[in-house]
Amino acid sequence: MSAERVVEHVTCLGCGCACDDIAAVVRQNRIVEARNACFLGRAWFGDGRVPQETRAGGRTVSLEAALTQAATILTQARRPLVYLAVELSCETQRAAVGIADRLRAVLDSATSEIAAAVLAAQRRGRATATLGELRQRADLVVFWGVDPAERYPRYASRYAVAAGGLHSRTVVAVDVGGHRGPGDADARVTISADVEVDALGVMRAIALGHPLPDVLALRPAVQLARRMMQAQYVALVHDAEPDGTPADPDRAEGLIALAQALNGPTRCALSTLRAGGNRSGADAVVTWQTGFPCAVDFGRGYPSYRPHDGAAALVARREIDATLVIGSPGSVPERVARGLASVPTVAIGPYASAAAFEPAVAVDTGVAGIHEGGMAFRMDDVPLPLRPSVAGPPVAAVVVRDLATRLVSP
Amino acid sequence: MTTAQRLRITGGTVYDPANGVDGVVRDVCIEDGKVVTGLPAGAPRLDASGMIVMPGGVDIHSHIAGSSVNHGRRLQPEEHAVDPVPAPRLDGPDAGEGGPARSGTGGTIPSTFATGYRYAGLGYTTVMEAAVAPLFARHAHAELDDTPIIDAGLFALLGNDEYLFRQIAAGERARARDYAAWVLRAAGAYAIKVVNPGGVELWKRGAPPRNVTGLDDPVGSTAVTPRRILETLTDAGNELGLPHPVHIHCNALGQPGNAATTLETMRTLAGRRAHFTHLQFHSYGGGRGKGWQSGAKDVIEYVNAHPEVSVDVGQVMFGPATTLTADAPVGYLLHASSGRKWVNVDVELETGCGIVPYTYKEKAAVAALQWAVGLELFLLATDPWRVVLSTDHPNGGSFLSYPELIRLLMDRAYRDEQIKRVNAKLLKGSALADGLAREYTLNEIAIVTRAGPARLLGLTEKGHLGPGADADVTIYATGGDAATMFATPRYVLKGGTQVVEEGQLRRAPAGRRLAVRPEYDDAVLRDLKRYFDLHATVSFENYPCAGSA
Repeated sequence: MSAERVVEHVTCLGCGCACDDIAAVVRQNRIVEARNACFLGRAWFGDGRVPQETRAGGRTVSLEAALTQAATILTQARRPLVYLAVELSCETQRAAVGIADRLRAVLDSATSEIAAAVLAAQRRGRATATLGELRQRADLVVFWGVDPAERYPRYASRYAVAAGGLHSRTVVAVDVGGHRGPGDADARVTISADVEVDALGVMRAIALGHPLPDVLALRPAVQLARRMMQAQYVALVHDAEPDGTPADPDRAEGLIALAQALNGPTRCALSTLRAGGNRSGADAVVTWQTGFPCAVDFGRGYPSYRPHDGAAALVARREIDATLVIGSPGSVPERVARGLASVPTVAIGPYASAAAFEPAVAVDTGVAGIHEGGMAFRMDDVPLPLRPSVAGPPVAAVVVRDLATRLVSP
Repeated sequence: MTTAQRLRITGGTVYDPANGVDGVVRDVCIEDGKVVTGLPAGAPRLDASGMIVMPGGVDIHSHIAGSSVNHGRRLQPEEHAVDPVPAPRLDGPDAGEGGPARSGTGGTIPSTFATGYRYAGLGYTTVMEAAVAPLFARHAHAELDDTPIIDAGLFALLGNDEYLFRQIAAGERARARDYAAWVLRAAGAYAIKVVNPGGVELWKRGAPPRNVTGLDDPVGSTAVTPRRILETLTDAGNELGLPHPVHIHCNALGQPGNAATTLETMRTLAGRRAHFTHLQFHSYGGGRGKGWQSGAKDVIEYVNAHPEVSVDVGQVMFGPATTLTADAPVGYLLHASSGRKWVNVDVELETGCGIVPYTYKEKAAVAALQWAVGLELFLLATDPWRVVLSTDHPNGGSFLSYPELIRLLMDRAYRDEQIKRVNAKLLKGSALADGLAREYTLNEIAIVTRAGPARLLGLTEKGHLGPGADADVTIYATGGDAATMFATPRYVLKGGTQVVEEGQLRRAPAGRRLAVRPEYDDAVLRDLKRYFDLHATVSFENYPCAGSA
């Protein structure tokens, strides 16, 4: 019989909830159970086995040889792209931004996929709270066109709905077109997708005390706004991540503005749901190192912000002549990935060797949170430690730092 | 060579007030990163003839790293776009263990690397990050790891935290102290920071009045009041023997008439060591419906007469700023009154955060009053060791405005010229408008910018140039006005490494972290574990930063 060990207090990065109460049961360097994890979390941990290849030019090579070739590709490029994919610790992200700076590269990340929301928050700010505040205080939780059970399975039980807080709580589901709120909500409001942005505007006007004409299609929104104003602390929950249907770019701004305005008559926090793999960490790290959260161009020797001309646009215009993808390549958005097959690409991260765009150099690393420690951010920017439970391929942060030392100009 | 093992700085005029050296031409000898009494005759020399030699600057209160700071950064791409910071040309590609030179952006909240470079370029070598929610401490440390050169510590926010309130309500003074000690270790912090005690909790509760209005307002339980919170934490800090006493941001920040609250707070804590931060923001006379006026004179007279009290001024400087505070109700009021963009983050069980970009304009009456109040505090202070320089960066203005502030303090003619430019509407009866003749001496500037803050922080190896001190040294060329001189040091040494040479940043070693590790009774851990299991969303075991608690 083999020894079993349990790694407690593991942080799961299967989604942005970053539940840190997982107990990983390990036998013979395999995860046999992820206790407390939801179905997404169990799938994310798997059994802890990941590919461990290091390849260059289609052949298996040593790490040394792979990084030497990677350095050659990257230093010879005139317009390299460094793409920060997911499943990285903040430590790896920090080293990756350093490489982009050194190479005078374009730097982008999954954050650009929600650029409309990022830009709206830069125009207006945002009124938000950590998830524990919602749990402690929110007496009214409004799910705006999202049912967290699907992509954020423990959000409701850990943070917003069932968790023991200070109040009795009312949950309102707002169904926006086909985007439905939770089925078991205390109340439902239906808003047709074509008036969503108008509805948010009207609700904001009500929160600000402005007089309004009566528009039939907006009456449900008006009633909801009044209900929100009567609550003591409102959690307004929406999903930031695209799921195939591109959201109206004005929607994010409407939600931000509404949540802010509700802080006049009452308190309100906008809770923005984000997917896993430490996406929020990428925003934070890129921001602290460059001053901008994504879509940074180091081409002039300092960071420039190009939110409307990020990786996808440059790749489409064939301006990029080499790419370094750091993180899990499967998470690279299709509109970026499709351009990568035509330029030499270095992939470093979990499943790098399996990348569909067939990188010239691929170094498989561990997954942050499963094989690697460090820090990651919950969707509400709470930083959490990562506790590796099984041994895996080379550690991403170490590989990326190693690559960085090979990029020193002569 | 990145570190001068030995160096004799010769011929400079030394200002080392902690050792009673007031403008004396003498050598400063450095060996292995420390100041030593002497060196062999053949040791390398740095000719500082005709120059001014001071210890490296020590900033007792600034906001440079962590979650709130990063929210403020992310909020303002426009200020970063117009202040690019190319990577400095360091001496060799990997000069110092801080890694290769990095580019970044500036503005009122520079990127981390730019923050380190710019502080060092200003001759500052130690900076305290003055407000970190313990929940976010791990993030703040990661940013400081990316902030080169400067030694840094962080202050842990307490005073609106649920666990503390429970101990106060239960009369558990010792438990409250143990908890404060545990938090300091868990956060890897250097000092206890209190922000608007009780007020942030009421803002988060939502029901009016959404802030405290006086020191005896109940915060949930009637046993929990701002006064009790202040007493509990001040006593905790002193009983734990922390090198820096509790660092207090009083209630009623930025409100007319708040000098009364500030004075009442000081009287409440009379006889106890306490530091009152950004005092300017808490020294207004007048009141609601009565308008604004200066309350500086009353407040500074109290400070002058009470040696247990220390303060930093939190001067307002005209130009762009970012208000960035755990005092979230103030953030909301600024947003509501200015209409500018606004970030609010309610932080579970602990604190809040409010961010509003702001511009102090000479022609705006309140901004002019704030500017005048800060100068009055400086100019009426009788003991510079206890009234030290800050702008509450970036709240009152960037740390880059310190040289201009120093000129205002040193040069009366210049100051009088500036007074003529500002809106005088609210300055009637202010001491500044009536004419304050005082001019700070170089020795006094050395006190308020390095020796004083180091002493108040209990940093025995900082802020002076006696044997055993860290070899953090700033050397200024004379000739221009004070602002020019202090903005562009000719040489800066950090731990013996020449980081600035001939006015250029040449090396960027990593800075050190400053933290305390007070003792506590382990019994608090069991109670905290229960409390976390019931109320927190982060596991108790995951809360402390690595290697701290």
